[in-house]
Amino acid sequence: MATTTASITLTSADLLTDVLSLSATNTLYKAGTTIGLDQTTGMTKAYLTAETNIDIFPTLIEGSMAFAGKSSWVYICNKSEDETEFATITISGNIIGKLYAGDYLWMPWSQSEDGHGDNKHGDIELLPSVATGMWFEWCMINEGTEYPTAV
Amino acid sequence: MATITAALNVSSDISSYGLTINNTMTMTKAGSTVGLERTSSLQRVHLTNKRHVDLLVRGSGTVADMTVTKAAKVYIKYLEADTSKHVTIGLGDAKNNADLASTANTSDSGTFFELGKLYGDEWMIIPWSGTSATGDITVHPSSATTADPAIVEYIVFFD
Repeated sequence: MATTTASITLTSADLLTDVLSLSATNTLYKAGTTIGLDQTTGMTKAYLTAETNIDIFPTLIEGSMAFAGKSSWVYICNKSEDETEFATITISGNIIGKLYAGDYLWMPWSQSEDGHGDNKHGDIELLPSVATGMWFEWCMINEGTEYPTAV
Repeated sequence: MATITAALNVSSDISSYGLTINNTMTMTKAGSTVGLERTSSLQRVHLTNKRHVDLLVRGSGTVADMTVTKAAKVYIKYLEADTSKHVTIGLGDAKNNADLASTANTSDSGTFFELGKLYGDEWMIIPWSGTSATGDITVHPSSATTADPAIVEYIVFFD
């Protein structure tokens, strides 16, 4: 069993009249258990040169529902150093938010089956704001990966 | 202008080579190097039943001053020692209140979609655009009663 811990510290000395400091740490477990997550995509480093919306976990089987009821954690970082460049992150075609230069997200991902007929199965998508080249990193730590059969 | 930082550390022995993420972001306004300067402050809610509700409504309540479609960051934590319990986090409209977690992704509104589940003691941080179609952040506890509520903390930093 693997042990994965995630921690965050949010700080600001000048946002409020008093210092803001908030920390949290947890261990990543399989859904509803105290058994550690044991699978990962590893860290991807990508250079994207088109303003095209892409599926960042393309090897996963959308229709298999291998992730249904399981736990997955996703990290995405926009490595651009140009503050005007951003990436729009969507799930199942719906906008979560924009990652500006240096921004990251860390979130759980259900990859739940869509209930409204468009059958997108909760894909996570990334759309660069420019076609001149942007660096990104992303990673998933999860359970239940199922890969496509070769054809 | 304020300086707000979020330092993330993930460490794991999940592979033979390990896996480490160390990253600190400084939260800035959209397309700018100027820091975000508004916040909801840290909020805590006690959910006393299993109804699907809006935790954050775009441009309303504690984020009434938020300029939607610009930069915002949301941190959410589920305060629960029992790791078998969870809250389902989604984006969209919970106004029609699905009662059961199992129906969370088929909200009557047709605009809700499930992002992921926070099990006991888990937290997350995401950007938030608050777009019109699916702009609200919803929460749906798997277990919640008056005697044993589902407790969720959150804070929003915005443009």
